[in-house]
Amino acid sequence: MAYTAEAFQNEFLALGATEVNAIVTVTSSGAEGGLRTAGATEIIIVDCSGSMQAEGRMIAARQAAKAAVNCIDDGVRFAIVAGVSTAQQLFPAPGQLAVATPETRAQAVHAIDRLQANGGTAMGAWLKLAHQLFAQRPGDIQHAILLTDGENGEYKGYLESVLQEIGGSFTCDCRGVGTNWTVSELRKIATAMLGTVDIVARPQDLAAAFEQMMTAAMGKTSAGVQLKVWTPVNSTIRFVKQVEPQMVDLTGKRSEDGPRAGRYPLGSWGSESRDYHVCVDVTAGAAGDEMLAARVSVVEGDVAHAQCLVRAVWTDDAALSARINRQVAHYTGQAELADVIQAGIEARKAGDDRTATLKFGRAAQLAHQSGNTATEELLSTVVEIEDAATGTVRLRRRIEAADEMALDTRSTKTVRVGRGQ
Amino acid sequence: MTVSLECAACADERAAGAAFCESCGRTLATGSPAGAGPRCPACGPAGAVDADGYCGTCGMLAARPRDHAEADSSPVAAAVTDRGLRHQRNEDAMWLAVRGADTDAVVCDGVSASYDPDVASAVAAEAAGRVLAAGGDDLAGRVAEAITAAGDAVAELARTDPRRAASNPACTIVAACVRGTEIGYGWVGDSRAYWVPERGDARQLTEDDSWATHAIALGVDPQSAWNDPKAHAITAWLGADAGPVRPRTDTLRPGEAGMLLLCSDGLWNYLTDPAELASTVRAAVRKAPDLIAAARTLVAFANEAGGADNITVVLVPIHP
Ligand SMILES: [Zn+2]
Ligand SMILES: [Zn+2]
Repeated sequence: MAYTAEAFQNEFLALGATEVNAIVTVTSSGAEGGLRTAGATEIIIVDCSGSMQAEGRMIAARQAAKAAVNCIDDGVRFAIVAGVSTAQQLFPAPGQLAVATPETRAQAVHAIDRLQANGGTAMGAWLKLAHQLFAQRPGDIQHAILLTDGENGEYKGYLESVLQEIGGSFTCDCRGVGTNWTVSELRKIATAMLGTVDIVARPQDLAAAFEQMMTAAMGKTSAGVQLKVWTPVNSTIRFVKQVEPQMVDLTGKRSEDGPRAGRYPLGSWGSESRDYHVCVDVTAGAAGDEMLAARVSVVEGDVAHAQCLVRAVWTDDAALSARINRQVAHYTGQAELADVIQAGIEARKAGDDRTATLKFGRAAQLAHQSGNTATEELLSTVVEIEDAATGTVRLRRRIEAADEMALDTRSTKTVRVGRGQ
Repeated sequence: MTVSLECAACADERAAGAAFCESCGRTLATGSPAGAGPRCPACGPAGAVDADGYCGTCGMLAARPRDHAEADSSPVAAAVTDRGLRHQRNEDAMWLAVRGADTDAVVCDGVSASYDPDVASAVAAEAAGRVLAAGGDDLAGRVAEAITAAGDAVAELARTDPRRAASNPACTIVAACVRGTEIGYGWVGDSRAYWVPERGDARQLTEDDSWATHAIALGVDPQSAWNDPKAHAITAWLGADAGPVRPRTDTLRPGEAGMLLLCSDGLWNYLTDPAELASTVRAAVRKAPDLIAAARTLVAFANEAGGADNITVVLVPIHP
């Protein structure tokens, strides 16, 4: 894999300033010939709780699972888990992983026809089973799809303890079908498992969603990519966030790596480019001093693929220090956008329409300014945007649950500088 | 930048022109083997400096070798270059080579508006210095040849890198070749050579290729010319966009003892009066224990006056 890492920042700081910000763009050209450098394992987890019977969800889920199975490349290991009050392996035999061939895919499709909606919802147990299956294939690119239509039924705190235990060990993309599931719950799983979360409001759209997720997963060619960040003594990392294609706070996922360095998991990579915001607090220097505030490298195991430097130069020239880097400003705005949307949704649910209107107004303004038209459109399903430039909005009287959930799940989606969607 | 002089640790006494002695690879500045990590000036022995120049402990950029460099060949010649107080790096460069009483000296000042001006000045100083050592008997002709070679070397930079090609790295140059009591000198831009006699005013040997000098020659009042914001804009330089380089050269055979001074505008900006310049140089030489200390005193003078630019000073005493 050929990676590049490039830092965008204004390295000039006013005297006394201690906060250093940089956007690091990591780009991978993908593996040579698009071939995986590691093996791959896929697990599809389908909620089979009783509620899946409604609105034709079970039929759609079967079709979606079949579509996903048919996207799995030959040679990739895979399994299907039926999610009820416990986790039951539907295919292949319990404890086993199948190797994808035309025959095994056909057998899996047959097995999927046996999926019945008649159980409970135990996401912690489902994830635990997936984790056990993945454990047979260390070093593989490990990816799961989790589909649910409701809230977790396990005792309080169990899911959290499972995520604590297995968080980051594989990637899990979560999808909620219908509107009876909880965005915050699925987001918790997706965040812990470095995956995505989204709503599929209409069951008939499930197959396309599964196909898209599995195709994206098959495009990943290397697993376990990490961002290694070295910082000088007496400095603290305020945060490390993925800011594009979507906001993911990686700060808490740090594992120490020698003195003054730590690693942050970036998940599996194909041919793609992502942006990270690194914010470090350092001790202030004197005019003219130059400090290395962070050395950021893209690593896989012991191999360092690319490196870039985040610098701090103190100056008494206000013309230099006052310039805010365009990329840093843009992603600071995108982070605020996600925050105000979530705050707006919470306020509205709590009946505080005044706060909700204020928050959504700010969101409309930020989305408009940054060219995030997808988010602006989602906002307009919840508020009437009278003037995006000034953030003048009015709450809609009737809000479809699906629209608000879509806004919530997609609030973390960002756009790049000067690149509308 | 190129500091020269015989390496103290090495028996080969040729006038190498490199920051590291070409023979034994020791840095001329410290005498420590090249490549051994220097110590961090900010946190002392605790911090070792990484290959990219930053301290592995506190992250401070350890003084780059160019921030302050000296070439001490007292009593024949001495040179000091310094980052100054306001610039982030030293874009001046110098060359000093001494064989017996023969001295070759070059001062270059990178044009900050271009990309990699520090590389331009370093390349120019070295290219000129090598030609000065090897040229013919006509000293002015030798200097002209050296400056032309420096111009070619700087112009070549723009062909090696697209960012450089976009902005044309550029620098000034003043070079001198001293053989006995004869001084050949030449320049392009506003780095200067002065003759500082033992008594009386300093004589500026060079005439700046600058807007102010040009305007004064056309009759503009000197004071208002120097107060113009364009005053320091140079009208000739070395670089791919400079056109054909036409160095101005001359020779000087002083009939009295005195000091040849080469310097960048980082010094002369604070000493525009010839009488004051002369007395400052003479005082520095008189009070300092040796020539290198005198050169340091002049650099310190510019820094105390504000250090707004990089400062380079070369002193070559002449005794007819
Ligand atoms: Zn240090
Ligand atoms: Zn200068």
